Amino acid sequence: MQIYLPIAEMAVPGEAILLLGGLVGFLAGVFGVGGGFLTTPLLIFMGIPPGIAVGTQASQLVASGLSGVLGHWKKGNVDVRMGGVLLGGSITGSLAGIFLFRYLEHAGQTDVIIPVLYVLMLGSVGLMMLYESFLTVMRHGEKQTSAPVPFWQKPFLQKLPYRMEFQRSGITVSAAVPAIIGFIGGLMVSVMGIGGGFFMIPAMIYLLGMPPLLVAGTSLFQITLTAVFTTMMHAVTNNTVDIVLAALLIVGSVVGVQVGVRAGRKLSSGYARLLLAALLILVSMQLASGLFIKPVELYMTELR
Amino acid sequence: MRILISACFLFFTLAVPAMAKSYDNSIVTVDLASDHVDITTGFNGAKLALFGMKREDGDVVVVIRGPRRSMVARHRRQVMGVWTNYASVTFGDVPVYYDIAIGRPLSAIAMPDVLREQGIGLDSFTFSHFGREDAETVKAFREGLIRNKQSQGHYPLSPRNIVFLNGDFFRADFYVPPDVPTGDYKIDAYLFRDGNIIDRQETALRVGQVGFSAWLQLFAYTNGFAYGLVTIMMAMLAGWMAYAISRRN
Repeated sequence: MQIYLPIAEMAVPGEAILLLGGLVGFLAGVFGVGGGFLTTPLLIFMGIPPGIAVGTQASQLVASGLSGVLGHWKKGNVDVRMGGVLLGGSITGSLAGIFLFRYLEHAGQTDVIIPVLYVLMLGSVGLMMLYESFLTVMRHGEKQTSAPVPFWQKPFLQKLPYRMEFQRSGITVSAAVPAIIGFIGGLMVSVMGIGGGFFMIPAMIYLLGMPPLLVAGTSLFQITLTAVFTTMMHAVTNNTVDIVLAALLIVGSVVGVQVGVRAGRKLSSGYARLLLAALLILVSMQLASGLFIKPVELYMTELR
Repeated sequence: MRILISACFLFFTLAVPAMAKSYDNSIVTVDLASDHVDITTGFNGAKLALFGMKREDGDVVVVIRGPRRSMVARHRRQVMGVWTNYASVTFGDVPVYYDIAIGRPLSAIAMPDVLREQGIGLDSFTFSHFGREDAETVKAFREGLIRNKQSQGHYPLSPRNIVFLNGDFFRADFYVPPDVPTGDYKIDAYLFRDGNIIDRQETALRVGQVGFSAWLQLFAYTNGFAYGLVTIMMAMLAGWMAYAISRRN
């Protein structure tokens, strides 16, 4: 059934959008990732303007983030103080991203820069995960021989100013480090329409040395609030949030998550990561081919 | 029976001339089955039926024009292996939608310069442009823009046919795609004889969102903050529901 999107001013096949939302929810259920990395490029493939794809995706992150963070909050797995510092960074990053996005739209480069960013990010994260999960699957049962010095204990990180104590996480670290991590995460939300968990979670583990138990909850806490802020900014400044598109995506993902969680229980985590890595590499290759293969039509047009 | 006949007589002597009054002295007359295209949430393109009548010999040409907007055409070039948007030309007065119906080929109807003057046919388009690009470049960009519009279905690949139902009464069928640009459209009917225009009649067509869809768009553009708030509330409610369902299991 075709459904007309009032802000995008175009009709889309409603089932396809529901299915897309469902797929993203399924991935979230199985792998615990946001899935924005799939939605934004696929929406753009369907002909939805990149601005609207990114802006609407932010509102979908609100739904998926909230459903994730509530469970962690109940169990007390959220470091609110750390989340607050991360949030300070990510709101600044999100604002910077919105202006960056505006500039790119004006320069007519969004349809090039966004895929390039996706290829770089998905490609590198996918390859890293592939390598890592390959090792864990291979070494099945073996024990790690030597533990390297964790990055967060390196002396130069200890010397940075504005040191703050995070009691819940049991660490003392310069507030600049989480603020910068948050800034990059916020940029990802507003420019690429993804939560940035790919980047945030490893950064919080390796750069901050946070206990893994608190990492997921804290990053979701931060992502949810950043997504609320970003949705509002896109709605007010760019008029790029399509509520009909958002509703379709969200309904699909709510259903998809339930299916995904059940499927995820049957999958060992090593193989799940291997599959996710393969998926990331596939999506990035698909996007890359669009960038490197000569387009049929060398001209493109848009309203000014 | 007598009464019926006299009623008919009265109708034809009084009502019909009154109805036809606005078209009194025009040689070509057109009208749409509906003077608006309503875009609702279930909109999936629309058919437009146009009926017309000509009172003298000649060729009829019907043109639909959307509102004029400023558009930018960009040319892709390979930079470090990646196809990026490189040079661009901004055109000032591009009709966002254009369609044409004819009875026989335009070349047989009038000379190119007559057609160009009236803006009939895609070859007649000369958009105003900003910048100092040379004529050759501008031409290439204009053709690129027209190809783009054609592939979107906003410009015709080939003209539509005017079908004559009898000698003077004709019909033309148009189709607007689901992503038709909104705004006030104009439909012009021309009557050509011996390569010259002898009559022209204009009628208006409004293409716009109506109902819930229109209300949402107005809401989003006039009160972005409240609209954003509603979107966020909806997302939060859905997120909370997803959490509640998963906890129950």
